[in-house]
Amino acid sequence: MNALLETVDARPATDRRRPPSRRRRSSIGHPRLTPYLFLLPTILLFLAFKLYPYLSAFWVSLTQNVGGVTAFVGLDNYIRLAQDPLFYTALGNTFLILVVQVPLMLALGIVLSVAFNSMLLKWRAFWRTSYFVPIVMGLVAYGILFRALFDSGDGIVNEMLGAVDIGPIPWLVDPFWAKISIVLAMTWHYTGQNAIIYLAQLQSIPGELYEAAQVDGANGWQRFWNITMPGLRPALLLTVILSTIGTLQLFDEPYVLTNGGPDNATLTIGMYLYQNGFRYFDFGYASAIGYALTLIIAVISLIQFRLFKEKTR
Amino acid sequence: MRFTLNKRSRGVAVTATAIAAVAALVGCSAPSADNSATDGEVAGKITIWTWDAPGDGLKAAIPAFQELHPDVEIDVQDVGNPAIWEKITTGMAAGGSGLPDVLNIGIDYMGNYVEKFPGELVDLRDFGADELADEFPSGAWKSGSGADGAVYGIPYEVNATGFFYRTDIFEQAGVDIDSIETWDQLLEAGVTIKEKTGVNLYNQDKAASAADSAGLWQLLTALQGSFYFDEQGEITMNSEAGVHSLELIKKANDLGIVGDEQGSWDTLLASLRGETDVAIMPSGGWMAGVMENEAPDMAGNWGVRLPPAVEPGGITAAVNGGTYLSIPTESKNQRTAWEFVNFALGTLEGQEVVYDGGGMFPGYKPMLESEGFAEPSEYFNGQSPNAIFIAELAQDTPVVNYTSDYARALKALTDAQTRVLLSGADPEEALNEAAEQVAQQTNRKLASD
Repeated sequence: MNALLETVDARPATDRRRPPSRRRRSSIGHPRLTPYLFLLPTILLFLAFKLYPYLSAFWVSLTQNVGGVTAFVGLDNYIRLAQDPLFYTALGNTFLILVVQVPLMLALGIVLSVAFNSMLLKWRAFWRTSYFVPIVMGLVAYGILFRALFDSGDGIVNEMLGAVDIGPIPWLVDPFWAKISIVLAMTWHYTGQNAIIYLAQLQSIPGELYEAAQVDGANGWQRFWNITMPGLRPALLLTVILSTIGTLQLFDEPYVLTNGGPDNATLTIGMYLYQNGFRYFDFGYASAIGYALTLIIAVISLIQFRLFKEKTR
Repeated sequence: MRFTLNKRSRGVAVTATAIAAVAALVGCSAPSADNSATDGEVAGKITIWTWDAPGDGLKAAIPAFQELHPDVEIDVQDVGNPAIWEKITTGMAAGGSGLPDVLNIGIDYMGNYVEKFPGELVDLRDFGADELADEFPSGAWKSGSGADGAVYGIPYEVNATGFFYRTDIFEQAGVDIDSIETWDQLLEAGVTIKEKTGVNLYNQDKAASAADSAGLWQLLTALQGSFYFDEQGEITMNSEAGVHSLELIKKANDLGIVGDEQGSWDTLLASLRGETDVAIMPSGGWMAGVMENEAPDMAGNWGVRLPPAVEPGGITAAVNGGTYLSIPTESKNQRTAWEFVNFALGTLEGQEVVYDGGGMFPGYKPMLESEGFAEPSEYFNGQSPNAIFIAELAQDTPVVNYTSDYARALKALTDAQTRVLLSGADPEEALNEAAEQVAQQTNRKLASD
């Protein structure tokens, strides 16, 4: 106990110049070990609850359950995946939602965050909270709410559209509109989160920059484009990557709203993984889908990092 | 440190721990050594996973069971359907941990659990369950048993198709329900009903966005003696019978007599209560009880009969699912669990309270033959739903082979049907595609090859 306290007090910078004393080297509280000691609980938890499942899932992805017996089948599941038309349907749907929804959501997030940050806005805490609330809403409540909104018969959205002589729109039951419904639901769900991240970043932009620009005669748009946007870049990179990863793993919305239908129009990779694992008990194949998804996410994240690096230069 | 042990007390503590550990080990290994899990006392607490209506039936049996075994406490948990399937799957994948003492398992999941998680369900022959075999319809008993005769579940519900119709709507349209013998005639009647009353013949979740909507296809296909798979497990969903069923469904849709409703429990209740009118409701026999409980105001407006045949003179009976009670091997109180299952399902006394408590249609033959079971019902205008279901079960219905790939086939069929109903796809082409997809996913053969 005493040794540990001593080493915490010791300053490593001065330590390095002195030859290490024998007493210190023999103790568990060696300065170099101290950070690892603090990290140990996290490392153990990581090994048990992250690394082990990762490796175990990889092993499972190389097996198949044949008549209750788990058999090693090598890359069979991956070969099957490469030839599975439904997997490509899921991949196509996921990417379509990705390219439509993520830019839409991020643009909205920027607009919201600028509004949240504005001195002109009253009751700012109220607005910030109300846009953040959807993030914490439970999956079931979320599903019930949007089913009630988007019901193609007497849904609230269709009733409102009907009042201005539009529709009715078959929100959840038409292949095209089902995708739109998913995009709308996701935007509602996650825009607030991105807005809060942007807001934090906005508050780190020095106010003097705006004052100086104003003195130089820059208008509002010029100030936004030349000060706000560059200032937001780190947050933009973060949200682009997080939203991309989140969308690629998309599961909640198609699960509660459309069941992946109609006719697989909203089948995402996450839904397909779930179906294979929990509906068909094909855990080997589900794990292979999981690893294919991991690979896709890794490649796309890498590309995004590269692209943003180019821009910041 | 305040808490210190001197040498002597530390020694005592170590010894005590060692004794406890040894005792625990002995305690654990004992059941497998002398099979006392099947001997044990009928006492303690057991937990049952089920869902709303069957749960009500089981709860009703508790007081009668406790009269025989006062030391037993029974916790019936309404896990919800379909949530229960995922919960059971997760438990089985985890080697049985977290599972309760009794599981209520659907006939369509039984094969999957037994095949994919061997050894997770108790072979009830250990408790002498094979003596009950003759008391249940053989088809239902067979679907709850393994290929080697091991008994994994006792039939709780055995459902014949319940074909319900609205007497008031048929009367208003001037259509005599008793004159309808085939589905073609029924669709013609549907057109008349729509013209005269504006009511759809039936509702369907065309996009299947809330649940699968394959019930009608399964019924029509069964009425032609076919199913997704044949007895060898080869794929038959695109057989002549299957295609004809989907053509009938398409025809009804093209005639404009099918309402589009999400396949949820709430929309079903709305139809039962006449809030969204339908002229017919083909469903399981269990629907009779649900109608009486959930739509009491509709008494006298619902009738029940055998479903029309697909071909003139064809069979008018189909099995519409069923459920089992099973015991997971991880259960610490298997003896008590078995005694309760045996009481609830394998004795006339138990069956009566279960049936009165929940209205599930039983498979226990002495119950079906018992006095008063097929009594006319006031709700159904003096008709007897039970007599109709018993007549159905007596017909020579085909053995339904769900196989372990039923969920895949169901999904493929639902998607094909959605393509036909929403995008006007050709039924035969859509079913061929679906069958090939199932073959590609499962390595099963197409029976047509």
